[in-house]
Amino acid sequence: MRSYLLRRLVGMIIVVFLVLTLAFILVRLAPGDPASLLLGPDATPEEVQSLRVRLGLDRPILVQYLTFLANALQGDLGRSLFFDRPVTEVLASRAEPTIFLALFSLLVALVIATPIGIWAAYRRGSVLDQTSITTAMLAASVPSFLTGLIFQRYLATDLGWFPASGYGGVGADFGTRMWHLVLPSITLGITNSALILRFTRASMLDILGEDYVRTARAKGMTERRVVLRHALKNAGIPIITVVGLTFALLISGAVVTERVFNLPGMGNLVVNAVLRRDYPVIQGTLIVVATLYVLVNLLTDLLYLAVDKRVKY
Amino acid sequence: MILRTCLAASTAIALTAGSPLFAQEVVNVAIIGDPDTFDPMVSTKDIVSIVTQHVIETLYTFDEEWSVVPLLAADMPAISDDGKTYTIPLREGVTFHDGSAMDSADVAASVQRWAKVASRGMAIADKIASIEATGPAEVTITLNESYAPLLSLLAFSNSAAAIYPEEILADQIEKPVGTGPYKVESRVPDQYTQLVRFDGYTQPGDAAGERAQTPDEIRFVPVPDPNTRVEGLLSGQFDYADSLPTEAYDRIAASDVAEPVLLEPFGWPIFALNHKEGLATDLNIRRAIQAALPVDDMLFAAFGDEKFFQTDGAFYPEGWAWYTDAGTDLYNINDQAKAAEYLEEAGYDGSPLRILTSRQYEFHYKMAEVAAMALEMAGFTVQMDVVDWATLAQNRDNPAVWDIYITHSPFLPEPALTSIFFSSSREGWDNAEKNEILARFTSETDPQARKEVFAELQAKAYEDVGLLKIGNFNALHGKAKALDSVSPSPWPAFWNASKAD
Repeated sequence: MRSYLLRRLVGMIIVVFLVLTLAFILVRLAPGDPASLLLGPDATPEEVQSLRVRLGLDRPILVQYLTFLANALQGDLGRSLFFDRPVTEVLASRAEPTIFLALFSLLVALVIATPIGIWAAYRRGSVLDQTSITTAMLAASVPSFLTGLIFQRYLATDLGWFPASGYGGVGADFGTRMWHLVLPSITLGITNSALILRFTRASMLDILGEDYVRTARAKGMTERRVVLRHALKNAGIPIITVVGLTFALLISGAVVTERVFNLPGMGNLVVNAVLRRDYPVIQGTLIVVATLYVLVNLLTDLLYLAVDKRVKY
Repeated sequence: MILRTCLAASTAIALTAGSPLFAQEVVNVAIIGDPDTFDPMVSTKDIVSIVTQHVIETLYTFDEEWSVVPLLAADMPAISDDGKTYTIPLREGVTFHDGSAMDSADVAASVQRWAKVASRGMAIADKIASIEATGPAEVTITLNESYAPLLSLLAFSNSAAAIYPEEILADQIEKPVGTGPYKVESRVPDQYTQLVRFDGYTQPGDAAGERAQTPDEIRFVPVPDPNTRVEGLLSGQFDYADSLPTEAYDRIAASDVAEPVLLEPFGWPIFALNHKEGLATDLNIRRAIQAALPVDDMLFAAFGDEKFFQTDGAFYPEGWAWYTDAGTDLYNINDQAKAAEYLEEAGYDGSPLRILTSRQYEFHYKMAEVAAMALEMAGFTVQMDVVDWATLAQNRDNPAVWDIYITHSPFLPEPALTSIFFSSSREGWDNAEKNEILARFTSETDPQARKEVFAELQAKAYEDVGLLKIGNFNALHGKAKALDSVSPSPWPAFWNASKAD
C-alpha cells in the first residue's frame, strides 16, 4: 500500500512537471503579444517594446523558463500581466464559483442519474428504460451552452425565477452568490447526468444477472434490499470512476457555462487569459488543473478500497 | 416635551425608512470587458475611457456638438497670433479625490507626463517646446510650430491628458487620483468596478454641461458575451448595456423593461492598406482594390439590415462639421473589370493579396469574405489570414505579413486624432502631397479654412488610395426604460443618469 502511494506520488510529480513545461512552451508558441493588447489599438511600437521590457518578455525564453520553474517550485506561479497580482491570488479568487458549481452540478447529475439508472436497469426493456435512455442520449447531445441559453432566456429573463448572470456583484453574501449558481448547476448537471445514467444502468445490468443476486432473492430477501444493498454496492466501482472523472472535468472549469452565465470562475479566467495572452495565468491554471486531475484520480482509486474489499494495492 | 421628542424621533425614523432621499440609487452598466488600467493616459482602449471619464478629468472636453469646451480649465486658452503659445487659465477650488487642491504645478506636471507616456502625447512631443506653470492658476504650453489639433488632443478621453496630483505621478500610476464626479470605491477584476459619488466635486462651467452626480453609485460589470449582456438587460439586471448584437434589436424593442439605443452613425469600418511593404505599395494595385470592392454587398453581409449601416464614402457623415463629398466619386465603384485593367497596368504576378482579419468583430470577417470574392473576380489571388485578436494586434505591427487589415473607428471629433492619416502610423501612408496637405491642416487655426483643407485631404485619400472607407455603421446599445439622461455616445457617461420609480 505504502509503495503504491509512493509510486503514485512520483507519477503525479512527473505529470505536473510535464504539464508545466508543455504549458510554458505552448503559450509562447501562439502568436500574439500581451504588451500590445494591454496598451490598446493606437499604441506605438516603441511603447509596446518598453512595456515588453518592463514585463520581462524580452528576456531569452530559456531564462524565462528557468525563472518560472525555480519560482514554481517555491509555490510562486508568477504575476499576472493583466491583473498585476500574483497568479496564486488570482486563482484563489476564482476557485469558489468553480468548486461550488462543480459540486452542485455533480449533485444535480447524481440526483437525476442514479435513481433513473437503477430503475432502468431493474425494469430492463420497459417503457421507462427506453424513455430514460433516449432522454439521456438527447441530454448528452445538446451542448451545455444551448441548454444554458434556453434556461437563461426563459427561466431567468422571462419568468424572473433566477438571476440571468453574474455572481451577485458588489458585497454579495454567500447565500446570494450560491443563488447565482443554481441555474448554471442545473444546466451542467443535466448535461453530465447522461453519462452517469448510462454507466449506472450498464453496471447494474451486469450485476443483476450475477449468481449471488439470484441467491439473495432465493433466500427471500426483499427486492429493495437485493437491489440497493447487494447489487448497487457491487456496481459501485464503474460509477465511482465516472463520477470522479466528471468531477475532475467540472473542476477544471466549465468554460462554456461560466461564459454564458458570466461567472468569475476558473473556466472564464483561462479563456480571458488566452485572449489576453496572460502567460502566467494560463500556465498557473493549467498546473492547478493538472494537479487537481491527478489528485481526483488518486482519490477515486483509493475510494475503490473502501467500496470493494476485494481491491488490493 | 416628551411627546414632542417622541414625535420628532418617529418622524425621523419614518423618513429614513420611506423617503426616496435615503434610497441608494445604483446604476448598473454592462460593459464588454474589464478595464485593465484606471490610467487613461496609458491606454487607447474605449473600455478604459468609458469607465475612467467618471473619475479622471482633463483640461478640456467635448460638448454634444463635439466642440472643445473647458472642463478643468476656466476658459478657452489665449492663443498667440503665431499659434504657438497657449495660455490656459485653470479653475480654482477644484479638489482631487485625496482632498488636495488642484494647482498649476499639478496640471503642468500631468501634461508633461502625457507628452512622455501617452501615445497621442508622444506623437506630438517633438512639437512641444515647454509646458510650464506660469501662475497659481495658469499653465502655458509653448509649441515649436502651430498645431491646431492640440486642444482636441487635450480634450480626448483616450490616451487622455488626464490631470493628477503631482505627487502621484510616476511611469506607472498604481492608484489614479482624479477630480471627477465619481471615485473608485472598490474593484474586483472581471466582476465589477464600483464608483461612488465624490462629495468634494465642483461643477465645471456651463459649456461642459452639468455633471449632476445623480446616481449614488455607478457599477460597471464586465460581461464579455454579447448575448449575456442582452439577457442581463432584459431581465432588469443592468440599466445600460454596451455593444449589443444587432440581431437582438427586435427583442429589445419588444421588451417591457428595456429599449434599444441606436448610435446612428457610430463609426466607419476601414480596410487599412500596407504602404510600407508588399503589394499595396503599388498605386495601381491599390486602385485595383478600390475599384473591385462591392461596398453595398459587404455592408449588407456585415450588418444584415439597413437599419444598421449607410453606404457613404465621406469620412464624416452629413451633419458633422467635417462632412465633405470631395473625392467620393471613387467610392463604391464595384467594377471588377476596371480593377482587372489596373492589375494589368501594375503587371500583377499573381502573388497573394494577404487580408489580415479576425472574428473578434464578426462584421470585419464578413466584409473580408465578400471583398475576397470580388477581388478574386478581378484577378487577385487572395489569402485570408483569419486569426484571433491577440495575433492580429501583433501582426498588424509587422509590415512584412499583411497587405490589408480590417479595423474600424468611431467618428472622432477631430480628424487629426485618426492616426491612419499620418505617415508615422503603422500603415505608413507617406505621400508627399498628402503630407503637405496634412501639415497645412494641423497648422491652420481658422476653423473654416481647416474644413477646406480637410476636403483636400479626403480627396487625396481617395485619389492616392491611402485607405479604404467601407461605409458608416450604427452601434446598438440598450437601456432600461426607467433610465434617463444618458446621451448616446461611443463613450456613454452616467453622471446625470436617473431612474424613474
